Amino acid sequence: MGFGELWNAGPVALMINSLIALSSYFAGSFGIAIIIMTVVIRSAMYPLTAKQLHATRAMQEIQPRVAELQKKYGKDKQRLAQEQMSLYKEQGISPAGCVVPMLIQMPIWIALYQSIMKVLPIVPEELLGLSRFLWDWPMVYSALPLNSTFLWLDLVRPDIPIAIIVGATMWLQQKMVTPKTADPQQRAQSEMMLWMMPLMFGFLAMSFPSGLALYWVISNVITIAMQYFTVGGWGGLVRAKAGAGSGAGGVLKQRIAQVEKSPSRITAMEADVVDSTATEEEEPTTYGGGYTTDISRVKHQPKRGKHHKRR
Amino acid sequence: MWIKHNRTLLKKVLPLLAILIIVGAAASGCYGRQQPKGWSGVTVAGDTLFVASIEGSLVALNTADGTRLWPDSILGGSDSKVAVYGSPAVEGDLVYVAGYNGKVYAINSESGALRWVYPREGNLEPIVGAPVVSQGRIYFGDSDGKVYTLDAATGDKVGELFQTGDKIWSTLVVDGDTLYVGSFDKKLYALNTADGSQRWQFEVGGAIGSALLVYNDTVYIGAFDGCFYAVNAADGSLRWQSEVAATSWFWAKPVVYNSVIYAPCLDGKVYLLDAETGREVAGAVDLMSPISSSPVVVDDEVIIASQEGKVYFLGTSDNRLGLLFDVGESGQEIFAPLSASNGVVYIHAQTQKEDILYAVEAETGDEAWRPVTLSSK
Repeated sequence: MGFGELWNAGPVALMINSLIALSSYFAGSFGIAIIIMTVVIRSAMYPLTAKQLHATRAMQEIQPRVAELQKKYGKDKQRLAQEQMSLYKEQGISPAGCVVPMLIQMPIWIALYQSIMKVLPIVPEELLGLSRFLWDWPMVYSALPLNSTFLWLDLVRPDIPIAIIVGATMWLQQKMVTPKTADPQQRAQSEMMLWMMPLMFGFLAMSFPSGLALYWVISNVITIAMQYFTVGGWGGLVRAKAGAGSGAGGVLKQRIAQVEKSPSRITAMEADVVDSTATEEEEPTTYGGGYTTDISRVKHQPKRGKHHKRR
Repeated sequence: MWIKHNRTLLKKVLPLLAILIIVGAAASGCYGRQQPKGWSGVTVAGDTLFVASIEGSLVALNTADGTRLWPDSILGGSDSKVAVYGSPAVEGDLVYVAGYNGKVYAINSESGALRWVYPREGNLEPIVGAPVVSQGRIYFGDSDGKVYTLDAATGDKVGELFQTGDKIWSTLVVDGDTLYVGSFDKKLYALNTADGSQRWQFEVGGAIGSALLVYNDTVYIGAFDGCFYAVNAADGSLRWQSEVAATSWFWAKPVVYNSVIYAPCLDGKVYLLDAETGREVAGAVDLMSPISSSPVVVDDEVIIASQEGKVYFLGTSDNRLGLLFDVGESGQEIFAPLSASNGVVYIHAQTQKEDILYAVEAETGDEAWRPVTLSSK
């Protein structure tokens, strides 16, 4: 049995039969089946997602320090790499933590995409082909063919409004985790990421079945909620307000303020690494939650983990 | 300036973008929508057989030696292929073909010239079932759920007889002045052919995609719920519902011989049911491959083809199963209904790239003439 057959008999068949069973349970609504499937998948992946969110946020927070390292060891690539790794290790950050969860989700997207295409056949060949994926469950094979309409969508075909919603929700999601910074290079990077992903996914959604776009929208909404509750507040969505200290952003602000008041927590290594002159020349990084700080001057970064344990 | 400023960023982001785009393109390209190809059955009229190729042409062959009688008649013009799923219908000097492009064609059976096309402008929703000709009219069901009727001579629309709740992909059956319609809305309808008024309707547990069998005042129908039903043709009451444990859809049209219904199923089995009671007269015959091709009866044998390209004979007296012909070894599959005439079985097999017509002696399994390639890329 080749990979293709294993793939079809495993993840794709599982997803197809689950979607059909869910549709059958919810009065034949394939849209509701996709929404429930999305919630189930994202719930199952919550530990990974939380890890990714923490890792992404932490990576952004130490960017000024990475920049300092680059200034200091720019000519010695090996030393630079060593110092960066030491910094990551010190902060409890795994660079792969930002990417791996996304890569793990890609097979799920592909399986879901294929499942939607197969579960909502258009031509007779596809309907006949679908029968090969069905398990011996009467509630599955009796339910077909499914109704492909949900709200205004024909879930089989691309739909421009939902593609725009995909882009918009992804922009909101990105904006929440985008730090405000005065560093032009970092700001340019943030701006690029802020627009690149929403545009790309919006574009993909315009060419894929709207059922997959529906998955992306629900998935983005769930991510936004996770970001709010896991990482802290609306992040970059909120304009900087001096003294604002409510919500999860306020909690983080208080935490940073506490840390700033504790010079004894400066580690020898941090003191060695931070170029105080350069830091003073830069404007402080501003986070949308209403707190303002220069993250490179934070004497101690809370280790990003489940319980925000301090070292 | 901007590029210089963001060179580092581009180095980081571009690989990620490239991965996403490649995966997206691969996913959409490798698993994009299938193009409709069709699986037309063969219709024999006199010493000529008609079949539509997967290239969208109507092919006319001499049944004696398989030679082409006229150049293939391209249905949709040279720039668009028309998938045909139903068998051509022949009446007088015209051959009628319904295309997945939502058009019905009438072609001169002597010359292959197009007589008329309906609709002349635009297209209907895709047509999957075959057209049925009766008393100067053509009846067909459409993916828009409607039953249409046309004047067979001119192609003028007589009317939209009826609207069902979902797609109609099965071939309609005319019996006397009653038109039987199976729909994806899980209902079987009996309509008056004259005005389309509904005589009765019968609801089953799954969509109806297979053609109906009308025999002894009973309508036999298999559905997507894995059940087989016998419905009184007079009033639409249930005569029996089979208790067979089919685990997939009934897709192909059943056949009847000596009051035994042979109902092929996509679970790879042929169920043998008593036409009167619905009880199984023998254990199901397992072909180990889905059956979407409607079988035929030749003498006292039922000839059945499985999707994997194997053609079997099943003795009606002893239920003995044997292999008659095999095209599966060359990678060909069989979706089209089988046809038979004068002891010869016509098998329309196909691959992704070509479709081939075989003429096989039902008695011996020998080829009556060399296989004819209907189309190839």
